[in-house]
Amino acid sequence: MDSNFDQELIDAIFKSVWSKKAIEREKNEDAETSKGEERAGTSKKNRPTSANSNAVRLSCELLRLFVTEAVQRAATIAEAEGGNKIEATHLERILPQLLLDF
Amino acid sequence: MDPVTMEECFDGSDAEKEDDDEEEATTHLRDRFRLSTINIAETEAKNNTMEISPSVIVCISDLAFKYAEQLADDLELFAHHANRKTVNMNDVILCAHRNRHLADRLKSISYDLKAKEPHSEKKRKKSSNKEDKALPSVVHIDSC
Repeated sequence: MDSNFDQELIDAIFKSVWSKKAIEREKNEDAETSKGEERAGTSKKNRPTSANSNAVRLSCELLRLFVTEAVQRAATIAEAEGGNKIEATHLERILPQLLLDF
Repeated sequence: MDPVTMEECFDGSDAEKEDDDEEEATTHLRDRFRLSTINIAETEAKNNTMEISPSVIVCISDLAFKYAEQLADDLELFAHHANRKTVNMNDVILCAHRNRHLADRLKSISYDLKAKEPHSEKKRKKSSNKEDKALPSVVHIDSC
């Protein structure tokens, strides 16, 4: 059975990033418009972004692919060097290409 | 403590406490993320009949977490560009558009998810596992 990331966990990570950015946006807007009347309308506009469940599921899959690719590529290098344990040096070798591919 | 913020707002300690809470929440998420990564990485290593040193897993986990945060940024920008407040599957596929193999893989998964939409929750989970086995578990990208 393939293990994957918890959807709820990935959703929580996304939400924490988005709410942080929403707060920042609100602060910026507050600094620009100091009038109290206009502020009432902006709270709705600055609601943090959300994701639908399929998008979160797909993101889980994307992150799982990232991890499995990293392990598999490092395993290839480790095997070529005749070892049977993946060490940091193997990861170092594959890291540049991995980061370019994602 | 930053003296400037203390002067500017009276509830400086409150703001700092909020920052601490936020940091704590992120650390908690990072730890949970790490646990999932350990699971996935060890399964994958076992499939390759390899051992994997814990420090490598921690490193991969931190990389993946950073990637997840970056992904959140990108997804938000894409959704807002389309005048949406909700991220959908196309935004996720767009994130991987530079890598054709990856984008194709995500597209095929997205079709499966869409097809299963009207059915019940249980059915969806069961067949998504089947689909995983049918496809190769890893996308091989030619590197030069």
